[in-house]
Amino acid sequence: MIKFEQFQLSNGLKVIVHEDPTTTMAVVNVLYKVGSRDETIEQTGFAHLFEHFMFEGSVNIPEFDTPLQNAAGENNAFTSNDITNYYDILPANNLETAFWLESDRMLSLAFEEESLATQKNVVMEEFKEHYINQPYGDVWHKMSALAYKVHPYQWPVIGKELSHIEQVQLSSARSFFFKYYRPNNAVLVVAGHVKTAEIKALAEKWFGEIPAGEKIVRNLPKEPAQTEARTEDVKADVPVNAIYKAYKMCARTDADYHATDLLRDILSTGDSSRLYQELVKEKKLFSSIGAYITETVDEGLFMIEGKLSEGVSMEVADAAIENALEEIKTELISEEEMIKVKNKIEAYMVFGETNILNRAMNLAYFEMLGNPDDVNHETEKYTALTREKLQQIAAKVFRKEQSNTIRYFSNN
Amino acid sequence: MNRAQAPEIKLIESVSLPQFQLLHLDNGVPVYVINEGEQEVVKLELMYKAGKWFEEKNLVSDFTNRMLREGTAKHNARAIADKFDFYGANINTGAGYETAGAVLYSLTKQIDHLLELLVEIFTESTFPDHEFETIVTNRKQKLAVELKKNEFLANRNFVNALYGQNHPYGRVTEFEHYDQMSTADLKAFFKKYYHTSNLTIILSGRFDEQLIKKINQFFGAQGNGGEKASENITHASEPAKELIQHVEKADSVQSAVVLGNISINKKHPDFLKLSVLNTVFGGYFGSRLMSNIREEKGYTYGIYSSFVSYPHGGFIEIASEVGKEVREATLNEIKHEINQLRNELIGDEELQIVKNYMSGRILRSIDGPMKFSETLKGLILYNQDVSYIQQLLKTVREVSSEELLELANKYLDYEKMYKITVG
Repeated sequence: MIKFEQFQLSNGLKVIVHEDPTTTMAVVNVLYKVGSRDETIEQTGFAHLFEHFMFEGSVNIPEFDTPLQNAAGENNAFTSNDITNYYDILPANNLETAFWLESDRMLSLAFEEESLATQKNVVMEEFKEHYINQPYGDVWHKMSALAYKVHPYQWPVIGKELSHIEQVQLSSARSFFFKYYRPNNAVLVVAGHVKTAEIKALAEKWFGEIPAGEKIVRNLPKEPAQTEARTEDVKADVPVNAIYKAYKMCARTDADYHATDLLRDILSTGDSSRLYQELVKEKKLFSSIGAYITETVDEGLFMIEGKLSEGVSMEVADAAIENALEEIKTELISEEEMIKVKNKIEAYMVFGETNILNRAMNLAYFEMLGNPDDVNHETEKYTALTREKLQQIAAKVFRKEQSNTIRYFSNN
Repeated sequence: MNRAQAPEIKLIESVSLPQFQLLHLDNGVPVYVINEGEQEVVKLELMYKAGKWFEEKNLVSDFTNRMLREGTAKHNARAIADKFDFYGANINTGAGYETAGAVLYSLTKQIDHLLELLVEIFTESTFPDHEFETIVTNRKQKLAVELKKNEFLANRNFVNALYGQNHPYGRVTEFEHYDQMSTADLKAFFKKYYHTSNLTIILSGRFDEQLIKKINQFFGAQGNGGEKASENITHASEPAKELIQHVEKADSVQSAVVLGNISINKKHPDFLKLSVLNTVFGGYFGSRLMSNIREEKGYTYGIYSSFVSYPHGGFIEIASEVGKEVREATLNEIKHEINQLRNELIGDEELQIVKNYMSGRILRSIDGPMKFSETLKGLILYNQDVSYIQQLLKTVREVSSEELLELANKYLDYEKMYKITVG
């Protein structure tokens, strides 16, 4: 249970405070409701590049990191399809430094040509390091494009191609900032050894004068229902054949989300999970296999990926995965397996709460989804599920016509 | 309000360490107990002196540990996995250079169901051949994938150059090594090292005193089971003659770069001060290597340096992945940054920032029972007392630019470093 209080400034900034007197630290987490889904197809990778740019100095402060480090703090950020999230962790008695820094970069950036040029290079090296110079590194580019035809999830957060990053102009950074990086499009969470009254005063002092921006109205194209299975074959210089399958699944806020997530646990969480036991240990068709979900604000993907054992054909491997999915659809899972995945999720939730940064990020994320208090009702949404419900959702998700398969062949 | 003016900063002058107890089970096994925090969870860590240092054949320590989850006299691999998972627990086994063991994460209300099985895997493991073969096959595949990564290749070429193939810190795994060990080797290693004379336990989280009694019932009742791992084992290193090694990869867009040489470890009196020098050099986001090579030049996504410490040795390592066309330029910049530290005093402002940043890192390293248990484990490996944490803070606060200049001349020498590049 994460206790919190919330209030809103007149410029629209949502503020959430979570007091935890057991720590000496404070976390300041600022979530901006903008991600790669807000990009255009001609300028992909922009939201993430912009996240880098946010550290390159703001209107009154030449650089972000140094003053925070000087205040004994540490910080980082990440960009996803849907959000850009910044956080600072520092001793609670230096909390105001984080307010000073975060509010100044929400007010306005320095917008210098030179720092944009450097960050473009840094991000291009990041692109190369993780997506080009890696075996199977391009698979997410391929899968996004295969599974989504009109929705902006069709390109990955890092960007569709290097040239998009190379071509970014300062003028687009400026208009992007004044559209999305406004207080009314952000959530501020302060957690740790703090008091709500003190945070109210600090928030008003540092963020209160920042002008609101226009209301963001998103008209993202809705991905049409997929009616035919899609398959793409890739030949590459990789040592081992691999298969990736993505099934369309619901959005994060959909009522079916928790059941879908539990199906993922049944298939792939822990050594007792079905894919590992059946396909790695018993049948020895794969050397490794796993499942995960993309957990996106708009409709997402249920992903299964595995590396094939030597001598196993792609057809046999693919059929084995489909067979495991068919089993969940046709046979009710056992009581015991149901209790297991519920116990797993309960432990996962409680362990997640041991980390204060995690608590702060979750509050921000659930506020972005609609209600921060939902974070405290997640576990019960899982425990309320029935075996029949899981079977029903499995039948809905694991349909061949909603599948996207990438077969990755080694040319060695 | 003047937004150009930074709020006043309070320096960290002291740390108050979290409470913990050192107890001994009936058979003498030391148990560190950190009973703090809000959440009703338990992290139970078992550390045996059974790491790579003690193996006589490559992979034996690693596989003995990995196979603990694969079968006991009473439970097969499936049953073990089912039981830990059924109660929502996670068990992570792992072998390091010095110790090997397991960490069990469980809700406090479930831990009673799991202690018996946990003891069983450490006392009655059977190392079944069929499970062993599956894991060997899958590990070979994993190695094949890793060997395609420049970063992996550069790292292994680097440690191999420092120590050579006959030393545990330098030994790299070849495919045939998997076929040169058998379950008989694992059984022998298990018998020799996995017993309570070699065991240390760290228990953290929030629980009642009954749990300690139960741990004593399960782990304290075992006889001491064998001889303590010898403190006198040594391994001869055979450093490579060539300091410069490059593997060309025509299709790479980046090169992995690793530089460094043998250095001191945590036991050496200079180590604390040296950790401040390293932070300035390449130990945090604002370091000189990052500021120059990432933030000014844009050659890389990241570059770091660290003084890697193991109980029987240590080395400095500078690592990055950089655009292929700027590989040589990167080496030159690293050389330049080393020479700057050797020739010029670090400015007051920069040193103060590093001191403040490191003080915060010390605070974070003891914040909450889980984090503190990790820090404590690091101290136990070197027989260090928790006062080390306070000593570190004191050193950070007091070390001078003059001392760091001297250390730079003693411990940073570009000419003596191995320069390993792949790509």
